[in-house]
Amino acid sequence: MTAEDPCPYPSYEETADGEMPVPARGDSATGIERRVFEALETVEDPEMPISIVDLGLIYGVSVTDAVATVDLTLTYSGCPARDLLCETIEARVERLDSIETCSIQLVWNPPWSIDMVSENGKSELESFGVSVQ
Amino acid sequence: MSALTGPDVLSAAERSAVEALVFPLADDEFVIAERYTEWQVRAPTLESDLALANVAQDEFGHARLWYDVVADLGYDEPELLFEREPDEFYHASLCALPFDAGDWADAVVRSYLYDTAEALRLGSLAGSAYAPIANRIERITTEEEYHREHATTWIERLCVDAEGRQTVQNAVDRLYPYALALFEPGTPEQTDAIESLNLRTESLPSLREQWIETTSTFFESIDVSVPVVEPLPEDPGRHDSHVEAWLSLYEEFTRTYRELDRAHTPTITSEHNDG
Repeated sequence: MTAEDPCPYPSYEETADGEMPVPARGDSATGIERRVFEALETVEDPEMPISIVDLGLIYGVSVTDAVATVDLTLTYSGCPARDLLCETIEARVERLDSIETCSIQLVWNPPWSIDMVSENGKSELESFGVSVQ
Repeated sequence: MSALTGPDVLSAAERSAVEALVFPLADDEFVIAERYTEWQVRAPTLESDLALANVAQDEFGHARLWYDVVADLGYDEPELLFEREPDEFYHASLCALPFDAGDWADAVVRSYLYDTAEALRLGSLAGSAYAPIANRIERITTEEEYHREHATTWIERLCVDAEGRQTVQNAVDRLYPYALALFEPGTPEQTDAIESLNLRTESLPSLREQWIETTSTFFESIDVSVPVVEPLPEDPGRHDSHVEAWLSLYEEFTRTYRELDRAHTPTITSEHNDG
């Protein structure tokens, strides 16, 4: 961690209209940040085989000077796929032309829950045989 | 909003107080998880085997979250676990006591005593002035509730007949004094620092009192008596002596690391920045 990180320990507060800003899906992201989200969309959770963006594990993405910072949470604290997911994310994001480094920040607050799965993700999980309703 | 946002803003004294608070938390979780794994393929039913394995996995996960907090202060995993001297671990001995073969009552009573204490402890950290501590609490708390459900269901099930109740009573008699040592503080200087910085918002004696109230009420409701507990055992753990069996457990979990002569190990703690 470097001293210039704007917010080294983000805690995601409700916005004025009472909405939680997480998970981030990148709907309004543009340019290189949009491309980082597209790279993240290709990464699947090994236990719930949908993209980690649809699963709701991404809490934020920012890019400064060719360094992409990805805020990532996990479905539970004992998740044995932590290193696998982090390594896959780094590899996919660093493959982008204008990214040199992908830095992952693990975050735990607010805790992930099934409510964080996108509608698209829910229907994909349904067809996989996992009920999320 | 926590006043101390992360490791970069800590003074030397604050850092040392964070370590004094977090090491015992992490060590409790890690050591009790090590013990729980001994029940794998030995629990009384396949269902309970899976359940306890899951509880162990959760506790390893929580240990990882707590070790991450101190890893961010500059420790690496060998220093935190595999090369730390056994007398520099700060778990309470409840976590390290060996199980007698087939004594399932011990496993579920221990889980109940430990997880009830953990729930109280987590509550006292939710408002911690150190953000990396406070930010973890909800995640961990949501994973703890079913541990207590599992333990209480099994204790009640064992208590449906006299023979089963006696096994629960024996476990309570043996474990209760060791469980009380979960609330043993570090040095007075550490306790003062932890409390004056608001790293923990409730005192250990207050948590201990609530724990005694909750656990006594539960055991009385199923006709199990709670033993008189003073004085504490001679080997309560934390900063005092550990039980003898801790050494063999330590030898066991560090064995592969030593035998493979690992200069570097795949990590339980994160190599990534952690919030």
